[in-house]
Amino acid sequence: MSLVTTLSQIPKKMRDVRTYVPFASASLAFVVGAAILASTDIDVGRAYTIMFRGAFGSIFGIADVLVKTISLVLTGLAVSVAFKCRQWNIGAEGQLLMGALGGTLVGISLVGAVPGLAIFLVLLLSFAFGSLFALVPAILKVKFGVNEVISTVLLNFVAILFISFLLHGPLKAPGFNPYSPAISDASEMPIILPGTRLHAGIFVAVAATVGVYYLWKTKIGFEIKSVGANINAARYAGMSITKSTLVTFVISGGLAGLAGGLLVSGVQHFLIEGISPGYGFIAVIIALLGRQHPIGVAVVAFFFSVLMTGSETMYRSLSIPTAFATTLQALVLVFVLVGQLFIIWLNKRQTRRLDLKEKWLAK
Amino acid sequence: MFLQSKFFIAFISRLFGSGAKKDLETQIDRKGESLEIKNLSSSIATGEPVVTMKGIIIRFGEVTANNNVNFELRKGEIHALLGENGAGKTTLMSILYGLYQPQAGEIIVKGHKTSMKSPNDAMTLGIAMVHQHSLLTPPHSVTENIIVGLKESRGLFLNISTAEKKIIQLSEKYGLKIDPKAIVGDLAVGEQQRVEIIKALYRDVDILILDEPTSMLTPQEEKALFSTLQSMVRQGLSIIFITHKLHEVMEVSNRVTILRGGMVVGTVNTSETNETELARMMVGRPVIENIAHKGSSNNPVVLHLKNVSALNNANVMFLKELSLELRKSEILGIAGVDGNGQAELAEVIAGLRKVQKGEIIMDGKPITTLSPRKIRELGLAYVPQDRLETGLILEYSIAENLILDRWYFEKYSGRVFLKNNEIKNFAKKAVSEFEIKTPGINVPVNSLSGGNLQKVLMARELARNPKVLVVHNPTRGLDIGATHYIHEQLIKQRDAGVGVLMISLDLDEILTVADRIAVIYEGKIMAVMDAKDADVDHIGLLMGGKPSAVYSKKNEEEQNK
Repeated sequence: MSLVTTLSQIPKKMRDVRTYVPFASASLAFVVGAAILASTDIDVGRAYTIMFRGAFGSIFGIADVLVKTISLVLTGLAVSVAFKCRQWNIGAEGQLLMGALGGTLVGISLVGAVPGLAIFLVLLLSFAFGSLFALVPAILKVKFGVNEVISTVLLNFVAILFISFLLHGPLKAPGFNPYSPAISDASEMPIILPGTRLHAGIFVAVAATVGVYYLWKTKIGFEIKSVGANINAARYAGMSITKSTLVTFVISGGLAGLAGGLLVSGVQHFLIEGISPGYGFIAVIIALLGRQHPIGVAVVAFFFSVLMTGSETMYRSLSIPTAFATTLQALVLVFVLVGQLFIIWLNKRQTRRLDLKEKWLAK
Repeated sequence: MFLQSKFFIAFISRLFGSGAKKDLETQIDRKGESLEIKNLSSSIATGEPVVTMKGIIIRFGEVTANNNVNFELRKGEIHALLGENGAGKTTLMSILYGLYQPQAGEIIVKGHKTSMKSPNDAMTLGIAMVHQHSLLTPPHSVTENIIVGLKESRGLFLNISTAEKKIIQLSEKYGLKIDPKAIVGDLAVGEQQRVEIIKALYRDVDILILDEPTSMLTPQEEKALFSTLQSMVRQGLSIIFITHKLHEVMEVSNRVTILRGGMVVGTVNTSETNETELARMMVGRPVIENIAHKGSSNNPVVLHLKNVSALNNANVMFLKELSLELRKSEILGIAGVDGNGQAELAEVIAGLRKVQKGEIIMDGKPITTLSPRKIRELGLAYVPQDRLETGLILEYSIAENLILDRWYFEKYSGRVFLKNNEIKNFAKKAVSEFEIKTPGINVPVNSLSGGNLQKVLMARELARNPKVLVVHNPTRGLDIGATHYIHEQLIKQRDAGVGVLMISLDLDEILTVADRIAVIYEGKIMAVMDAKDADVDHIGLLMGGKPSAVYSKKNEEEQNK
């Protein structure tokens, strides 16, 4: 069998350059990242090896990657749902923190409860706290036309500072550090891989991914997605913009709140300042790169989690600051976006070539 | 200041010569009796060719828009380019204007073989084009749009006030009412077209291409425009007039080239042909459709607007105590020049625009403050004019678009999930019933043609079994086949007892299909009449805001003569 026939058996999509552009873009981000590392005294090869060994080299690494993925998937989905309705919710970080607060409050007070019920209540309250906090910008928008980008961004700081106030005051556990009291044992998410940090919250993340996938096949999902696709057409067809906006923020804030609740119940077991290293902000990038599709979001979230986990190992072994991970994430975003432009350019060139062919045939 | 007024005088004298100005005014006063205009046009001697296009071929993907087209424009003639939608008229002229480059063929302008890469090249050769759809920049003022790109506007500072004066003078001269300070985005489509015409007149051109310039004008404005064109050609300008209206060809042109399916059917002298022959050449079959009008004045009222006032998007009171009665089993046509409250009227009925004052009653129930969904549930179907921006969601499939207004019906969804099978069946039924040409029900509708898009929209709205059907410009941009189909559907609805409110800018359409005709002007209904008794001149006057009294006085005078 000749090479040509072998190639032609590969499906057309697999042969199309455009399929590989996003992957090539992401790889280029690593090349530029390498250049940045090389500008210092660091051995680039070793740095990247350590990074990937940190993420995949041990069962602990993999567990860590998955734990971070839980937070990134949930916040990524939160932002995706909002974006799908064209509600630019940039406030996932604040909603996550409020969710964490909700989970903590229930967790502290539920001493000696049945474990399953306690966990359920923790999740429920963290969802509710996230939702309620997201309803603030939603109602401001629906009632007074306040731009949600501004209100959601600013409310992040309200949440961060409010948590900080609580931890230095009313919610502070006895002792020196601004920590909350620990939650009850019953409220802790069980570890599913003994000896690691991987907790049962991963099932919540999977369920949320599946849930969002099916959300778009429901009545309310169709309404939300139509409002996002064309608000004029949706209004004309009798859909309620107010209802869609409110429901979108409830779901979005709730998902971000769940991420917060799981950080408390699954990882930290008490509330601290900076419990989230900016998951709610990275979520915006994840939603954009994952094109607001739940599967896309899950894949990108996993990838970003690998970057974050790996860079922590790099910091421990080589003292490369974790800021390098943030730099890499930003580079990936930039390169993937430029890759999209490249695809547009490829499409244009293709039509231009067809035109030339036509012209040639016309002669 | 001095320079520019000098320029203006030069411009005017170039256009009209010394005595022509007065001549023009008298012609406008006479409201351009068509007989005299015909005499004028046949008396014009046409000169040597100024534009020759030979063997033009242009393809867009699979479609051959122009196939071996030959076209010739002579000095001092008005040359009509006649053809249906999609016959290739606009494409051919866009080539002449440098917007498209043909794949084969040559263009000779004033004796020189040329290849135009852009409208700038065309402009240098003295060719200007007034487009059917506005190519102005919406955020800028009328004046800014007109002087953009001119040498006089290229200095550090713009001399806006001089330009404004010039524009006012031009607009008064041609009866093209326009406020030079207005922002183009706030203007109605018809007004934007006036700006386009003035923009072309403002430049020193001798070949003018007009793409269906009368589609937005009242009959009176149309006749005034024709007189203007006549005096322009007498001063040596040459005009290409793209149209699909036969009477315009007969009235204004010296010669006519007929295009069909991208090919030239023929070029004839207007004086040696007639409307029937032109129609046959244009569509290959006689087009005169004759639809029986029904008397409907005694039918029960299904939709009643009582003194309804509403704001437009710029928060100006645009509907002013408008009252209207739509009856069962009738097509009520709303005639009017664009931007007189048509869109606001439709939106007020559909619940998409707030009623400031007054009351709307549909089928005996007040709907003034109800939501769009409630009004639809009470029996309204509505086909908006912008099917791409409001009627449909372009990235959605046919199936999704078809359930856009009924996704929550028990038939199409359970308590939580949509019922995919039911939706598919509904879509398949609609596709076959409305003869929608599509590769499948799951393709996004943005891959469909204009006619098929409108069919999807009609299919959805008519499936509601409405009591009242509001359609706004239902056939704009559609070809004759699709137009005919839509008209048949409207008549079918009427015969089934539906009250159909047809808001349309196309007066011919209203005269053909409507049983009763109402004329809207500045947010008010000027008059309502039976289509049987309708008189085009009368409607034209009403569309221009002249109350009936003027018309009856004119009638009396004529009878006294």
